[in-house]
Amino acid sequence: MTENKIYTHKIEKLLPSLGVVVFFAALAVAITGSLWSTLIILIGMTGLLIYGEKHGQVDRAYIRVEERRSSTLTVLIICIVLLPFILKGNSYFLHIAVMAGIYAIVALGLNFQIGSMGQVNFAPAAMFGVGAYTSAMVTVRLGASPWIGLIAAMIVTAGMGIVFGFPALKTRGFYFSLVTIALQTIFILLVVNTEWLGGPNGIPGIPAFSLFGQSLKKSGMLLGTPIPYQMNYIYLTFTLLLLLIVISKRLYSSRIGLAWNAIEEDEIVASTQGINLTKVKLLSFSIGSVFAGIAGSLYAHYTSFIGVEDFDFNKSLIFICMVLLGGMDNPIGVTIGAIMLTVIDEKLRIFADYRMLMYSIILIVVLVVRSQGLLPKRNRKYPLGEEN
Amino acid sequence: MLYAQILNAVMLGCTYSLVAIGFSLFFGVLDTVVFCAGDVAIFSSFSVVFLVQLIGFYNIFFGLFNPVAALLLTVIVAAIFTAILMVLLYQLVIKPFENKSSLMPLLSTIAAGIALRELIGIFFPEGRNPRSFPELLSNERILQELPGISWRNAIIIVATILIVAILYWFINKTKIGLSIQAVSQNREAATMVGINRNLVIYVTFIVGGLILGFGGFLIGSYYAVIRFDLGAGFGLKGFSAAVVGGLGNVYGAIVGSMLIAFAEVFVTAYIPGGTAYASIAAFVLVLAFILFKPEGVLGNKSVEKV
Repeated sequence: MTENKIYTHKIEKLLPSLGVVVFFAALAVAITGSLWSTLIILIGMTGLLIYGEKHGQVDRAYIRVEERRSSTLTVLIICIVLLPFILKGNSYFLHIAVMAGIYAIVALGLNFQIGSMGQVNFAPAAMFGVGAYTSAMVTVRLGASPWIGLIAAMIVTAGMGIVFGFPALKTRGFYFSLVTIALQTIFILLVVNTEWLGGPNGIPGIPAFSLFGQSLKKSGMLLGTPIPYQMNYIYLTFTLLLLLIVISKRLYSSRIGLAWNAIEEDEIVASTQGINLTKVKLLSFSIGSVFAGIAGSLYAHYTSFIGVEDFDFNKSLIFICMVLLGGMDNPIGVTIGAIMLTVIDEKLRIFADYRMLMYSIILIVVLVVRSQGLLPKRNRKYPLGEEN
Repeated sequence: MLYAQILNAVMLGCTYSLVAIGFSLFFGVLDTVVFCAGDVAIFSSFSVVFLVQLIGFYNIFFGLFNPVAALLLTVIVAAIFTAILMVLLYQLVIKPFENKSSLMPLLSTIAAGIALRELIGIFFPEGRNPRSFPELLSNERILQELPGISWRNAIIIVATILIVAILYWFINKTKIGLSIQAVSQNREAATMVGINRNLVIYVTFIVGGLILGFGGFLIGSYYAVIRFDLGAGFGLKGFSAAVVGGLGNVYGAIVGSMLIAFAEVFVTAYIPGGTAYASIAAFVLVLAFILFKPEGVLGNKSVEKV
């Protein structure tokens, strides 16, 4: 009896690491498998998450992860390092993983506005586009290094985030949503009609990132087997993604995250509690936009070609879908939602005509059946007695 | 030149205003934005194409009655289809969110609009290609001395005025119309004096659906070529017009539509290379209104009580 208990206790301690391994295995099978196996895995994962949420397992898993943070993180990093090999080094499968990472970064940024502050921003794709175009223009027209492009993209999107966020100071709800839809449309129209930005033809020939004099766009050899260049981008994207998840989580449990939630509940009450509405709201837009800008820069230097159709209103809707499906105001949930939707999207490529129909139905079903998302927002747990 | 531009703008304003009226009606009763109104209007255009070209509805009745009656019958059947669709949409994507955050129906109706658009594209024969709209309204001039005023243009303007007049009568003179006004002014008080709110909502959606149905026919007649994804633009312009005029105010919707249409047409006509920037001008106008005069031209300034 007691032996059994010790045994289960040991297993419980290993659960977080096991969970990470199972998640990556499922992801690998979902990416490499046939359409049906992908659908079965995704439905299974959805069911598991909802079941676990109902019976408190997810909460326990969170506590376990907190207890054994370092080992879980180690397992996670090992899984990411191994990911290209699990994906059999196939360049298409690796491409799916890279895109999932890039979209997850945009979704994380969007989450600050939709999830934390309850303001539906319909222009994340425009911000993604601002990042991509800035980075592309800096490198193609000015001949700077892609890393400079990345930094320029971050600076420009931070500024644009304030511009896009400015209407949020004066309006709320539908009006704000209409403003962002208008800004998204204006962005597309401006890019299409500006010759200097490539117009409808897009910008070709964007250079790739390079590290220590080595271009990341060079296929390498490892132990005698060729490794496609996408592997480098997987490491780059997922390193950034991991970093940004950590930043999001820390923001969530910081005073700023609390202030965002307070604004979501009631703006007037929040301001009477001493929250500087202007500062806190603009911060949400600015940080969210920087995330989108980083993703845009990665995207531009990864695909080496950007066109305006990558940043249209439909893309914005897909990002909103990711946040809603994954779980509002929960960085892990948003990341899972983004990865799931990207994989399904790639798998359903043969049914490209039905793509937007699928997204719209997913959005409606999620809103009706489970508006809090697959992995809803968690309660904040602050250590007692430390603050005082 | 100026005369032709003004006529253009009025025509464009007419096509926007019926969609904008739909937005305002729904917003008044429900306090939520039903974003798929543009797509619903385009659904009506496709219904007309379906009735006329695919099953020859118009031709069947053309023989039995005179052409005007056959035309009216076709348009009314298409409008009834649209009204049924609107009620279905209310049941599926608006009603489930009645007591929840008002942003959820916004998202769900945007999704429903896309679903509708894509369904037309997938299931309508050759739905993704531009379709020519049957020329039911003659393009001939009424008077040779007056350029630009064809039967079609005259009918579109007169029909818009007529629909607005009937709506005015319905809202102000009938009991159910007054109930609609009561519900949009104060939901609780209206329920307290014995108004059946559910009935009012359904009636509003049927009336709104019919208006969008007629609007779809007029849009199709005006543009002569329709596309399955035209609804997105119309939804956006219609909503913008409703906001500029004052959301929830039916007459404001008309004023807003005219303002936006005039802005678009005059930027196209008088600014070199303006065609590309017409929509941008319209949206900049909307942005200015939202930021500096959010209650719109005719709306009431609402003061938030704490």
